Amino acid sequence: MRSLGFMRHLNQEKIVLLLTALLFVVFSLTLNNFLAGDNILSLMRSVAVLGILGLGMLVVVLGRGIDLSLVAVMAISVAWSMQLIHEGLPVSVALTIGLLFALGIALCTGILVAYAEIPPLFATLAMATFVYGFGRAHLIVGTDVVYMPKTMGWVVSLGQGKLLGVPMPIVVAAGMALVVFLFLRFTKIGSFIYAIGDNLAASRISGIAVRPMLVLQYVLSGGIAFVAGIITATSVEAMNTRIVNSNMIYDVILVVVLGGVGLSGGRGNVRNVIVGTLLIGVLMNGMTIMDVQYTVQNVIKSLILLLAIVVDSIVNPRDEQTGQQGDI
Amino acid sequence: MNPILELKNVTKEFHGVAALRNVNFTLYPGEVHSLLGENGAGKSTLTKIMAGVYEPTQGEVVFNGEPMTFGRPADALGKGIAMVFQETSLVPSLTVAQNIYLGNEKFLNRLRGIYIAAQQFLQSLNFGVDPTLYVSQLGAAQKQMVEIARAVHHKAKVIIFDEPTATLTPEEKHHFFSLVNRLKREGVSIIFISHALEEALAISDRITILRDGQHVITDDARNFDRDKIIASMVGRSLSAELYSRDKTRKARPYGHKVLSVQNLSMGKMVRNTSFSVYAGQITGIFGLIGSGRTETAKIISGVVKRDFFHGGEVRLEGKSVRYRVPRPAVKDGIVYVTEDRKIEGFFETKSIAENIYLNLLSADLNRGVVVSHSEMMDLARDWTRRLNVKAIDGNARVIELSGGNQQKVVIAKALIQKPKLVIFDEPTRGVDVGAIAELHQVINELADAGLAVVVISSYLPEILNLADRILVSRQGRVVEEFSTEEATEEKIMYAAVH
Repeated sequence: MRSLGFMRHLNQEKIVLLLTALLFVVFSLTLNNFLAGDNILSLMRSVAVLGILGLGMLVVVLGRGIDLSLVAVMAISVAWSMQLIHEGLPVSVALTIGLLFALGIALCTGILVAYAEIPPLFATLAMATFVYGFGRAHLIVGTDVVYMPKTMGWVVSLGQGKLLGVPMPIVVAAGMALVVFLFLRFTKIGSFIYAIGDNLAASRISGIAVRPMLVLQYVLSGGIAFVAGIITATSVEAMNTRIVNSNMIYDVILVVVLGGVGLSGGRGNVRNVIVGTLLIGVLMNGMTIMDVQYTVQNVIKSLILLLAIVVDSIVNPRDEQTGQQGDI
Repeated sequence: MNPILELKNVTKEFHGVAALRNVNFTLYPGEVHSLLGENGAGKSTLTKIMAGVYEPTQGEVVFNGEPMTFGRPADALGKGIAMVFQETSLVPSLTVAQNIYLGNEKFLNRLRGIYIAAQQFLQSLNFGVDPTLYVSQLGAAQKQMVEIARAVHHKAKVIIFDEPTATLTPEEKHHFFSLVNRLKREGVSIIFISHALEEALAISDRITILRDGQHVITDDARNFDRDKIIASMVGRSLSAELYSRDKTRKARPYGHKVLSVQNLSMGKMVRNTSFSVYAGQITGIFGLIGSGRTETAKIISGVVKRDFFHGGEVRLEGKSVRYRVPRPAVKDGIVYVTEDRKIEGFFETKSIAENIYLNLLSADLNRGVVVSHSEMMDLARDWTRRLNVKAIDGNARVIELSGGNQQKVVIAKALIQKPKLVIFDEPTRGVDVGAIAELHQVINELADAGLAVVVISSYLPEILNLADRILVSRQGRVVEEFSTEEATEEKIMYAAVH
């Protein structure tokens, strides 16, 4: 009976979850090394950063925004931090400066969106370009890649350590997911973010301080980007600023949308991001074991996204009762 | 005469809940047929089945002797069934002329050509709308006219009007009714949905009344009167008619002065207006569309800003206030209940409970620091009972409710913020007869409880019935004040139009 109820209220989140389970079973049966404990951990580890960035994107998307500057903020703030350590600053001071840089940039983005009323798409795109250009021109001079200093101390364990046998990136991602979940579910600000994404005019009349909330969303996502950057840098012992020019930001949007978060705001939660991230993790891992070309992987990823959205629109047709204008 | 449209034993269920049960409906060529009933009676569902939007669960629909197909409203439109929706379905970024010709464009769509044609067409309908204006620039009434013009232009054989007159001024209504008569002479059948019963009585050939998804009665309009309609709609005989003025009603005495507005100005909409609002009574503001009443209310509640220079003064209990956003106004105890609940009233993806609770949170009046599910459900239960919101439970989504119940939720959202001053802007727009009485009672109870209440309405009987003193707004300012004893419909209207 329970499973029947599950099937009856099929939505994109559940479709993606089923798809993930299906892929998981297929890969387990057909690929030799897939089900090995190490492989499962490395699978999850490989998407931990993507998942963390997805949480940042979630917070912004729920309020009917989008943050294309996540990857740029992540790369430049952490690279600069490490550059400062190389130049002799204490680790804690350098990391604080990096975090403040990330938050400061996010604050500017938030102000542009909330007070200057620039559409988030343009504001964050411009910010991403600015941060990358400014960082490469003035902060990190002469090199694309900033290697991790030897003196990082305990911070290194965030990327390389293990807790009860589980790699730290997974633990951190899980912890962040929990924090964001609690924030959205149990704080007033979390409720306000959903409300603003649903109906901005009604939120305003209700007495919600709409503009500060919008700014806060971007600041949160900036902070989350910094954490994701620290995990990345300590895992691979370097921060390659060229990541800004990769299609990573699209992968972040992919996991958010794939999991069923509505880009028109107000709909979605942390669960959606986890589900989307897991699907991408299973898919990429399986394809890597099968030695599928990187370019082909991208094609398959995009087809999966389209499939999930198409199935969702067949199972949940948008009629006047459920449809929402401006759905994208 | 053969019917042009016939519905036989139509039943429609949504998620297992019947919205219509075994309804029969017949429409003859060239008749005006009014469809009346409370909100939630099934009028909208029935008309959407006629327009091919919904497929009936059981029963059949015959149009012009052929069974209807469903799923594609364009098919129904192609056959000649046009629907003029309550919420306008125009494209705001196109001009009036482009909207009228939308879907009927020639391959080479010359703008100048359609402007000229649209100009002539609109003139023939007696609608004073400039065809080159963008729809986003139009007021509600003009949008309605364009919508009607579009239906007429599509050479529809059946036109379904859903509340066409709600946003029209008396003069525009007059135009509208002469248009309806013209269409009728040309053999067009018209289905007319309205809450304005006098209009339905005056214009219809026949009247069908629905109640709770069931057919109650269909008869010639001359066999009906207001009482009979209301009795059939609500299924009980209302002892006192809704808007009959109770001669024994005494105006409530003035309490202390809560709000005083002096020389308030905002652009061209509000010009140098001054008035006061007192506790413990209902201040009615009557004005036609465009008289600046909504804008004045929005300035007071911080939704829009007044002019920076020479903007005048607003005093709340003697203290001068200037709100840039609604939040401080809410904190100070001023709440505004919007006239357009769908756009700025409620959160449509959220449940009744979440909607009400959010306003408690935004007013910083919730119990603990964390969001509490149990507190939310308690509130929802309490308020749905107090305002008699009809829904399956507090988890029902607001968008699924009828207009009257949506309005009750919006009012609950406002009242939960413990206001001193409540401004109701058109509190009963798009609300059924039964709910109107309930909403009026809620508003009266607020004033009895000592709150300062402002009711803005463009419906005279509503103002006369509710208000303890009546202000009349015209061209951006309050021009006259009447006490209930001296006010008559004629006096108020005279002040409002001249």
